[in-house]
Amino acid sequence: MDNGRTDDSRADMALISARGVGKHVEGPTGRLDILDDVSLDVNAGETVAITGASGSGKTTLLGLLAGLDLPSRGSVRLDGHALETMDEEARARLRLKLVGFVFQSFHLLPALTAEENVMLPLELDATPDAATRARKALAAVGLGPRRAHYPRQLSGGEQQRVAIARAFVHEPRILFADEPTGNLDHASRDAIADLLFALNREHHTTLIVVTHDPALAGRCARIHDLVEGRVRVHAA
Amino acid sequence: MTFRLTGRMTGPRHALRTLRREWRLPELRTLIGALLLSVVVLGAVATLAARVQRAVVMSAAELIGGDLGINAAASPPAEFVRHAHALDLHTSALAEFPSVAFANDRSQLLQVVAADAAWPLRGRLVIAGRGGVERSMHAPPAGEVYLDHRALVALDVELGQRVQVGGMDLVVAGQIEQQPGGGDLVALAPRAVMALADAKSAGLLGTGSRARHRLLVAGAVAPVDAYRAWAKAHLPADAQLVTPEEVQQRLAVAFDRAATFLRLAALLAALLAGIAVALSAQRYARRKTDEIALLRALGASSRFAFGGLAWTLAVPAVLAALAGAGIALALAAIAFAYAHGLLPPSAQQAPLPLGPAFAAAGVGLAVLAGFALPPLAKLKSVPPVAVFRQSAARAPRRFDLLYLVPVAVAAGLIALQTGSWKLAGVLAASLAGAAVLTSLLTLAVLWLVRRFVARLHPALRLGASALARRRALSLVQSCAITLGLTALLLLAVVAPALLDNWRRELPPDTPNWFVVNVQDAQRAAVHDALANLGATRFNDMPVAVGKLVAINGTDVDRMAFNDRETQEDADRQVRFSWSAALPPANRIVAGQWFAPDARNAEVSLDVAWVRRFDLHLGDRLAFLIGDTRIDATLTSIREVDWSRFNVNFFVMLDPAHGATLPHTWIASFHLPPGHAQELATFSRAFTNLSLIDVDALLDRARQIVAQVTAAARWVLAFSLLAGALVLAAALTMSAAERRHEAALLRTLGARRDQLRMAALCEFGLLGAISGFTAMFASALGGAWLAHSVFRIRDFVPPWPPLIIAAVIAAIVVAALGLVGTRKVLHTSPLLLLRR
Repeated sequence: MDNGRTDDSRADMALISARGVGKHVEGPTGRLDILDDVSLDVNAGETVAITGASGSGKTTLLGLLAGLDLPSRGSVRLDGHALETMDEEARARLRLKLVGFVFQSFHLLPALTAEENVMLPLELDATPDAATRARKALAAVGLGPRRAHYPRQLSGGEQQRVAIARAFVHEPRILFADEPTGNLDHASRDAIADLLFALNREHHTTLIVVTHDPALAGRCARIHDLVEGRVRVHAA
Repeated sequence: MTFRLTGRMTGPRHALRTLRREWRLPELRTLIGALLLSVVVLGAVATLAARVQRAVVMSAAELIGGDLGINAAASPPAEFVRHAHALDLHTSALAEFPSVAFANDRSQLLQVVAADAAWPLRGRLVIAGRGGVERSMHAPPAGEVYLDHRALVALDVELGQRVQVGGMDLVVAGQIEQQPGGGDLVALAPRAVMALADAKSAGLLGTGSRARHRLLVAGAVAPVDAYRAWAKAHLPADAQLVTPEEVQQRLAVAFDRAATFLRLAALLAALLAGIAVALSAQRYARRKTDEIALLRALGASSRFAFGGLAWTLAVPAVLAALAGAGIALALAAIAFAYAHGLLPPSAQQAPLPLGPAFAAAGVGLAVLAGFALPPLAKLKSVPPVAVFRQSAARAPRRFDLLYLVPVAVAAGLIALQTGSWKLAGVLAASLAGAAVLTSLLTLAVLWLVRRFVARLHPALRLGASALARRRALSLVQSCAITLGLTALLLLAVVAPALLDNWRRELPPDTPNWFVVNVQDAQRAAVHDALANLGATRFNDMPVAVGKLVAINGTDVDRMAFNDRETQEDADRQVRFSWSAALPPANRIVAGQWFAPDARNAEVSLDVAWVRRFDLHLGDRLAFLIGDTRIDATLTSIREVDWSRFNVNFFVMLDPAHGATLPHTWIASFHLPPGHAQELATFSRAFTNLSLIDVDALLDRARQIVAQVTAAARWVLAFSLLAGALVLAAALTMSAAERRHEAALLRTLGARRDQLRMAALCEFGLLGAISGFTAMFASALGGAWLAHSVFRIRDFVPPWPPLIIAAVIAAIVVAALGLVGTRKVLHTSPLLLLRR
């Protein structure tokens, strides 16, 4: 819906903005277009789901929006920064300041305890009281007593909670979650989803979730449905 | 219906298809590369050592003038010649005797060789004619004689003039420049060579003459060996077989040390390769876990899954082993060609032995099987359910007998290379000790890091904490790198110092002359006369001659000995000496040296004598010296370093009793070349003395040291490669984890310089621990080598170069680790989203 603002001014106000984004890769049989002319805006504090069938380009789009990759064409702005003009170092610095991640496969470092995994973003930023803050974050996800345990000693749901604690510990403005409940059983799925949204509200983060779970998508304010690389927007 | 993948038809095809794909994996390449390297290094060194041994034997063959000799008081029976010819061997007859030559109113005792026209069969008789032109010749024709420079000077004759030898009037046809010895590299008196026919017709070889006859044979290796066996069985009572291998004990000692050193160096390189195999196999097994689980889940039989794995490894392994053998032969040939100038011409023709290289291929495959078996065998226990849960693939940690396999293979390899269980035990214990020391040091450092990591700079904290948290991996890496660095430091820093020490045992002024039969009253005069000639390093010892007559009360004549050599030792005269202090190059291995004023007679024996006669401390030996009988108790056993060119004796009496015996003196000294005239004058002044020239022997011994030094450089190069392989395998052990870690950290916002600093800190610590431990381990290893192999006393490890080398090694490890993680630093964060 157009509120009288121009496309550009909407982009300026949005925390995340994509314009005419396309992504292709070269495959064994030639060029493969994954995304085609994707444009979207996400304002601060919004919760947005990106849905679509397998192979529709959801994770690719997430990667582009988070600055993990660069589009083949078009532009992405993150908090006003044009990502395509930044090198990987600059994008990494931006991620450290702005972004938190939750992955489908948790991606905890097996050699670190739960507490140490949560401390990672703080240590990268040389935050002085990293351990204290990590313990608080773990307590917030209900894993205070397990802080000295290694990932192999935790269940899948517990590992994902550690990952969520890590994602929020440095107070990011944006949280990207890639299939956060994809590897979990039904009961854990709901618990993790509740935790994710609760912490999101508590920390006032902007949440972008990639999921093929309609229930999880339905909890977001807006849904961007990817069909053959193109976006259709629904209100939740 | 279950889809079943059977092993019979598709296993090898699946394996070969897999091999084509997996050959790009660094783990498989490192594994096969380590095998190739171990075969190359073991094969090259074994081939080189065998060839050098053959060359030394052939070189020693020049000393006796043939591949084999039969010495006797009379010419050996004709059947010995017939049998040699039947085996297609060449023969030559000669006789050696002392004889006085006369010319120009002068006379001189000469050591004469009278030989037939075929002599020498091996070695060169180099004769200088008029104008100094040198040519290789055979024995002179009848009517001619060749004299050496000393003889020419002593008799004051020139080429073309006449001398009388044994009553025969002969023309001096040439000057002897080089002559195969008569089994000795020592020249008792000036030399002459004449025709055998002339010596016979002059009656110089008849009954009562002091001539020693020799029949020489030469030919291909197999017929010579066959003849040797036949001759041993048919030898007349008074004849002895003379072989190159037995000719010079000094050379044998020198060669043994050389061979042991080279084999130890090769062993280190092979063990390093084995470690690289183990590390690579570990990583390869982890990669294969998913595939094995999937195949089993799909219904593949165990035979299919593991048969395929066996094929995937066996095909490149066998090819690599064969290629390694070929490369080893080529390298040994090149190394030999490079060092060929150090050997006499006949020795340069030594054939290239093929056996050692292919034996090394077998050993290499055994190393691969032994070191790779434990991690790969674990794949058998991967359950199909692991396709769903990776954690199911991890078997609970428990001790597995399979881990003893690489230990057994390493122990077998050590025993094979050292040739001695004692040496093998010491070496294995040393390596195990180094590993234990490294582990303890690593654990201590990791503990310190965990305690104090919070106080570190954040960038360093990442690296230090990574090392501390990957404790098991850090232990394995530090042990592997330490062993690698120890081997490299040992070979690059300690070994040259050892070889230098060995070389310095034969310094340029090593005594190269002996003088015998010096009377008591002549000692001072002889010393002064030699000093006036410029002789240095003068040393003399008393000599008495006697016979062993009884052992523990039993007459030696009534004793039956198991072998001919012991019988001969019992029968022949014994030369013994005495000294208040233990002579140089002697080491007491049992008992104690003589007390200054022993009341009862005591005797000290060399270990060879003790073994030969099966003696023990406390045994009583009786000697007859002239009319004097001495009953002495064996109070000490010595190990004599015969390679040191000191005057040494198998039998020594205590000085209190020895000094009462009739005796002469033997002295050694060094005199630079070019003093033939003065020595001739000296000989005329002291006519009862005999001068013995050992320069040729010294040259041979120095040649062996030079050969070993040259060969050691090649082995060092191989070991450097092996060490680099181990480093690469150890440092890349955690490559997959590092990539994952780097992707995550980059996703979370880590900068590249933070990751770089972390890697530098991690590998810097690893390098420091390994370098520090390797420095001490190589110093200890060098001290052990000096004591056990080279018999060098007072060897001090070269600390300054060791410390510098250890620091450099630590820096190199850190740098290599950093270089190895370069790819990791550029890992895209997208890696996480794609997993």
